[in-house]
Amino acid sequence: MATVTERKGRFDEVHLSWKVFVANKPAVVGLAIFLVFVGDAIVVQVAPGVIGLQYPNDVIPPPLLSDNSTCVGQAPEPPSLAHPLGTTQFGLSGIGCLDLGQLVEKAIRIDLAISFLIVFVGAAIGTVIGVVSGYFGRLLDELMMRVTDVFFSIPFLILALAVGYVIGRTLVNMAIALIIIWWPLYARYARSLTLSTKEATFIEAARAAGSGRLKIMFKHILPNVLPPILVQISLDVGTIMAIFATLAFIGFLPSNALVPELGVLANIGVDMVGLGYWWTVVVPGGVITIFALAMNLMGDGLRDVIDPRRRS
Amino acid sequence: MKLWAYVVRRLILLVPTLIGLTFLVFALEHAAGPGIFLQQYVNPRLPGPIKQQLIAQLTEKFHLNDPIYVQYFYWMGAILQGDWGISSQPGVVGVPVTTIFVWFMPNTILLTAVASALTWLVSIPIGVYSAARRDSLLDQGVRVATFTLYSMPIFLIGFLLFIGLGGWALPDFGNVDGVLYPALSQQPWFDPSTAVSSPTHILAFDAFLHGDLPVAWNALLHVVLPALSLTLALLAGIIRILRASMLEALEQDYIRLARAKGVSSRAVNNLHAKKNALLPTITSFGYLVAGLFSGAVVIEIIFTFRGIGWITTQAFLNSDTGVIMGSTLAFGLILVFTTLILDLLYAFLDPRIRYE
Repeated sequence: MATVTERKGRFDEVHLSWKVFVANKPAVVGLAIFLVFVGDAIVVQVAPGVIGLQYPNDVIPPPLLSDNSTCVGQAPEPPSLAHPLGTTQFGLSGIGCLDLGQLVEKAIRIDLAISFLIVFVGAAIGTVIGVVSGYFGRLLDELMMRVTDVFFSIPFLILALAVGYVIGRTLVNMAIALIIIWWPLYARYARSLTLSTKEATFIEAARAAGSGRLKIMFKHILPNVLPPILVQISLDVGTIMAIFATLAFIGFLPSNALVPELGVLANIGVDMVGLGYWWTVVVPGGVITIFALAMNLMGDGLRDVIDPRRRS
Repeated sequence: MKLWAYVVRRLILLVPTLIGLTFLVFALEHAAGPGIFLQQYVNPRLPGPIKQQLIAQLTEKFHLNDPIYVQYFYWMGAILQGDWGISSQPGVVGVPVTTIFVWFMPNTILLTAVASALTWLVSIPIGVYSAARRDSLLDQGVRVATFTLYSMPIFLIGFLLFIGLGGWALPDFGNVDGVLYPALSQQPWFDPSTAVSSPTHILAFDAFLHGDLPVAWNALLHVVLPALSLTLALLAGIIRILRASMLEALEQDYIRLARAKGVSSRAVNNLHAKKNALLPTITSFGYLVAGLFSGAVVIEIIFTFRGIGWITTQAFLNSDTGVIMGSTLAFGLILVFTTLILDLLYAFLDPRIRYE
């Protein structure tokens, strides 16, 4: 395999990677589900009318707010042909007939965007800190390890609540709170990857050729650290979406600032479950599960691609 | 490295973590000026002059006009003296935060203890068996199940159990059935204004101690669903780690030797491989404990189970600085010391770790 790659160069590396990825059938299923989610997010962002969506940023469409006859007090309806995922209701005697399918379509856009934002920003911060402290070692490294120790010493959900309480309960602040929790994981991971890379002969060669520290760190070490980090990102996006939705579910966002987000949808449905309207929580929760599952499967396939030992 | 040298090194490492932890909580509380910190002491409905006087007193006591590092020392001094602030949320207004811990922590300890015990009881046989019969139908099933469970948000696990079991067999919300509440609030050992029982603050135990068996049984049943949900939430991660380390252990040469000399495969699995597979799982126990508390918060909210996670979320929703910051610090301390104990235990069990 190695000789083929060497002879034909970069294009064949991509081709080979794709072949390795496709050989892992669950990973392909994961990728397909992921693409459906991305497609939904793009359509809702660019042309919501195509799939019959209106008001992509609202949980309750504004016309329903002013119209207090037809839908007020309308109990959630189970999944049917008209509403494949059922409907939900905002409050026990509040506005009903909110189509869960449409709400999920709207929510996927927001959840996807924010999960990726959190993971990418967290990974970027963590990777830079991890590479620098791993490369310099000594006091700087010790300091980084102790600081991350502190972040690991508080259960993440409690830390997110405390941060959110201080900086305010908005959607963006919720993302910031999770970035604050997530960067230390990447800092530790990037550090350990750097430690194993910096002893390599090609780094020694670069140093002998007179490369500066910055150049060695970001031109030679970083490209070797990035692939495993990217795999970790794909594995983490699903987890982050679940944690993000959980925060929204326990009421991170004030109830007067509703956003179509999967955790918020589950939160709206909470009071309904006890009355037998189980789908109001299970549908948004199930969508998160499917996404997290898909990302785990896909990440597994990506790991096969970057790890030569698993290419068999 | 000798064991004692490792213990000393590990204890020295504790110092920066503790300082960092207290500083992080302090910084959160004070980063946006003294407003958030003062909120717990100053009732906004107080008349103006009295409010000003109170703020002046507190500013002097905690040196709020001094540089931030000076403030840290006075804040730290108060923490060390047991002054963790006071609660300002409905139901427990004016109660010291430390008393809140004493009231609500026992319920969380009960919940997490039952859940961790169940997790270990269930995950070890499943993990070992699944690895020993690699790629069998059962192993495939376990892998699909843990993968799915692992991807579920905790609140969905709680609700699925509630939908499945809560409706007909088990009581769900709260710590006791509403029907029993009127009689219960007449009891001298139960305070209806805060819904806290004495002396252990765990309703099932207190009712049992005072001979109220129906309440004790009912309160005990109320622990089942939350504990089962938490167990399911933890199970998947532990089984995955256990299965992986068991597979690794089964590849070792001493296992091949044992098989070659005719040791039965049952003995190989249970005596030779399992012991070594359990060791790395102990390290992941630290991660388990962290997940345990985060999970307990969500589970307590779903089932309105009155533990420390529940009261912390109530504090968050009701802007109760004292309880939020106090819980953050308390959870941090618990986690730091649990991790310490586990690290020492691991070093004791596995001498290799001391040479790293």
